[in-house]
Amino acid sequence: MTLFQETGWFFLKKALIRIGGACLVLFAAATLTFIALHLAPGDPVTAILGGSANPTPETIQEIRQEYGLDQPIMVQYGLHVWRVLSGQLGSSFSQHMPVTDVLWQQAPHTLKLMLASLITAWVFAVLSVTLSARKPIFDSAFSSLETLFAGLPQFWIGIMLLWLFAYQLGLLPPAGTHGFSSLILPTLSLAIPLGGFLAQVMRESFKTTLDQPFVLTARSRGVSDNSVRFRHVLRHALLPGVSLSTWAIGALVGNVVPVEVVFSRQGLGRQLFLAVSMHDMPLVTGIILFIALVYVLASFLADVLYVIIDPRIQEARV
Amino acid sequence: MLSGHTVSQSGKTLLLGALLVTVCLPLGACHKNKHARRAGSPVSVGTLIYATDREPVCLDPHVQGDMPQVFVAQQYLDSLVSMDKAGTIHPWLASSWDISPDGLSYTFHLRSDVTFTDGTPFTAEAVKANLDHMVDPATQSSTAGGYIRQYHSTEIVDSHTAIVHLSRPYAAFLEVLAQGFLGIESPQALTRPRDLNCQAPVGSGPFRIVSWDRQNKIVFDRNNAYHWAPPTALHDGPAYLEHVEWRFIPEPSARFAAVQAAEVDAIDSLPPEAETPARHNADLWVLMADRPGNPTNGTLNIRRAPFNDQLVREAFIRSTDIEGALSSVFFHHYRRAGGPLTATTPFYSPDFEHAADYNPDKANTLLDQAGWTTKDADGIRKRNGQRLTVHIPLRASLSNSERTLWEQVQATARETGFDVLLENADDTSVNAREGQWDYDVRVGYWNTNTADVLRIVFSSEFLGAAGIAGHHQNESGFSNPEFDRIVNAALLTTDSEQRRDLYYQAQKIVSAAFLQITTYPQTTRLAISKRVHDIRLVPSLNVTTLYDAWVEQ
Repeated sequence: MTLFQETGWFFLKKALIRIGGACLVLFAAATLTFIALHLAPGDPVTAILGGSANPTPETIQEIRQEYGLDQPIMVQYGLHVWRVLSGQLGSSFSQHMPVTDVLWQQAPHTLKLMLASLITAWVFAVLSVTLSARKPIFDSAFSSLETLFAGLPQFWIGIMLLWLFAYQLGLLPPAGTHGFSSLILPTLSLAIPLGGFLAQVMRESFKTTLDQPFVLTARSRGVSDNSVRFRHVLRHALLPGVSLSTWAIGALVGNVVPVEVVFSRQGLGRQLFLAVSMHDMPLVTGIILFIALVYVLASFLADVLYVIIDPRIQEARV
Repeated sequence: MLSGHTVSQSGKTLLLGALLVTVCLPLGACHKNKHARRAGSPVSVGTLIYATDREPVCLDPHVQGDMPQVFVAQQYLDSLVSMDKAGTIHPWLASSWDISPDGLSYTFHLRSDVTFTDGTPFTAEAVKANLDHMVDPATQSSTAGGYIRQYHSTEIVDSHTAIVHLSRPYAAFLEVLAQGFLGIESPQALTRPRDLNCQAPVGSGPFRIVSWDRQNKIVFDRNNAYHWAPPTALHDGPAYLEHVEWRFIPEPSARFAAVQAAEVDAIDSLPPEAETPARHNADLWVLMADRPGNPTNGTLNIRRAPFNDQLVREAFIRSTDIEGALSSVFFHHYRRAGGPLTATTPFYSPDFEHAADYNPDKANTLLDQAGWTTKDADGIRKRNGQRLTVHIPLRASLSNSERTLWEQVQATARETGFDVLLENADDTSVNAREGQWDYDVRVGYWNTNTADVLRIVFSSEFLGAAGIAGHHQNESGFSNPEFDRIVNAALLTTDSEQRRDLYYQAQKIVSAAFLQITTYPQTTRLAISKRVHDIRLVPSLNVTTLYDAWVEQ
């Protein structure tokens, strides 16, 4: 009974710390966004009206009032934080629609692309490492390939893939968000460097594990090489990959911006790019908060996966 | 029933085609006839996929008012009046109009058989609701509202007669009304909040907006009740296309690849480097027209040194080889626009096209006269120890080709001794600098279908007009009482000859003051599949209309 209470209290404390941390991350994201957009030069009213047009003075005054731009900066900041804390993301002035609607429309496309890239990267990394580690020639060949992949910039891969598969061969659509075929090239642009990176990390721990005594034991029991690799060694090599995947999700959110732009895809990345150039505070804040939320959730998920893959971690932590 | 008819028709065309091929085979002229054979007669079925570069921020062109909005508006909105290629105004939703002798009241007699796609009938109420909506500050209009600053009120005489009262005579009123920016929307739909109306505005045009999937496409359906086409159209009655998909592909090469691969049927903003491949592609045709207004230019700030001196302004313009730059940057596809108006603007005069051509010898003489006589080690001219420096802020959204054009300007002006600094920054920073007159050259353009653009760009009235962060439309700082008198007098008369004469004088004055390096006209540039016929450009702003378009099945 006492034991249960203690464990329950422990989990509650842990959850509270995690939620508190998440709130802090979101609050910091909101504040940094506000500061960054206010440090950037220029008047958002010109962005709202599209710059060099011909508005009447009454129109300009109306916009200042509507978006609270006539208030002192601290009041604007206070209002901004209050709105974020109370969950009102407000209305995007560059899109003329509620920020939540923009997120609702654009997020699925970005999440789909991120998920597809993450899966592709993992498939590549697992296959590349498991099938080639410690095998003559293959090991160094694939290891070099992974290093090369990890070093390529996403937008460059995107342009090369576009040139080859869309412009020259005409096999895949050059632009747009229309079903599976238009997802292939953007996914590869993101997955190739990520896959290379994941594989590099996994290869190291995979090789260390191959030297462990239990591998020798398994082999002595007559288990085939492939079986040893996939069923026994891989499990140990996954851990660094899983913890890196949290980081990878954060990196993907950033890298998705040029990729969505190059492939003219729908999504939060391209939307964020437009919103920043329009000084659209509510929309930038909304997207940043959403990304921060995804990041927080991903790191939580990574913790859970850790325990599933290696139960010893939970024991050690308790 | 309908499909049976189409099949038999295409069977006949095929037979005729086979006959033509046999007949012309020995003559080797089949290629020319191929298109003629295909042309046939329009079919009332099918979907057209149109891809463009920029997505509008709001589909209601009254709000803000940027070019992508008017392209969409032209598909689902009608205007009170229409304008032909010669600049003459014709009826559209208004079947006729009378103008009071003092030029202050316009009585519009409206068509009585027009209905908006939400079922609301088109009446004098709609005219009032629309004009009131454009000038309402809450609409946040920067184009439509700005063009009708003279609007005072609308008086409803009866359901199909409206008198529009102006505070000042405004002879360009009918011209601006013909622009899609001032299209007429359903008054019922306009009562919704602005941001809601932005998502799905309602008009009486040949198509209606079905959905808008942001960053992807807008879908239009045909308005089957449509029978009030303007006289500039090729047919009357409903459009031929059943559906239109309006896609957004911002990347220029991806957009061109999409039309080459027949992923889409037509694209606009065809990049200059793709024009030759497009013309050589047997499956494509191109459609291009210059937009009226003040052409793409660099406006010289005469409020500070060095361009407060007219000699230096002329020297700068004459030291820049625009023709050479255009042919290298745009692959010989862009012509020079030398005067203050694009050739497609009403009352344009060709007399000023060569008022300031490239002439480095003359530029050198002028700079000597102006006292910039010595040169430093870099070859930059100096006067009283000051270097002859020109600051040009370039906004991030400027296209790469235009950026290269200004690099060429920089290179050629340097030979005469100008130190041209191209200063890259994001759009809002550039807007802020422009607001504070902190530039020597301001890069821009102004598309509108009236010579009254001269008043907006050069008259004293627009020196401090709106005041967002000091924003001003008169970017040169030019202030000339004689010029002001002329452009304002041109608004007092609707007599074409008088207006022509006044606008001629106005063009002469600004041309002689050397206020702008004009480069090339803003252009609508389409590449279209040969399966698609009769895509046209509406002369008021040379904006695409798909009303007459049809696709071979």
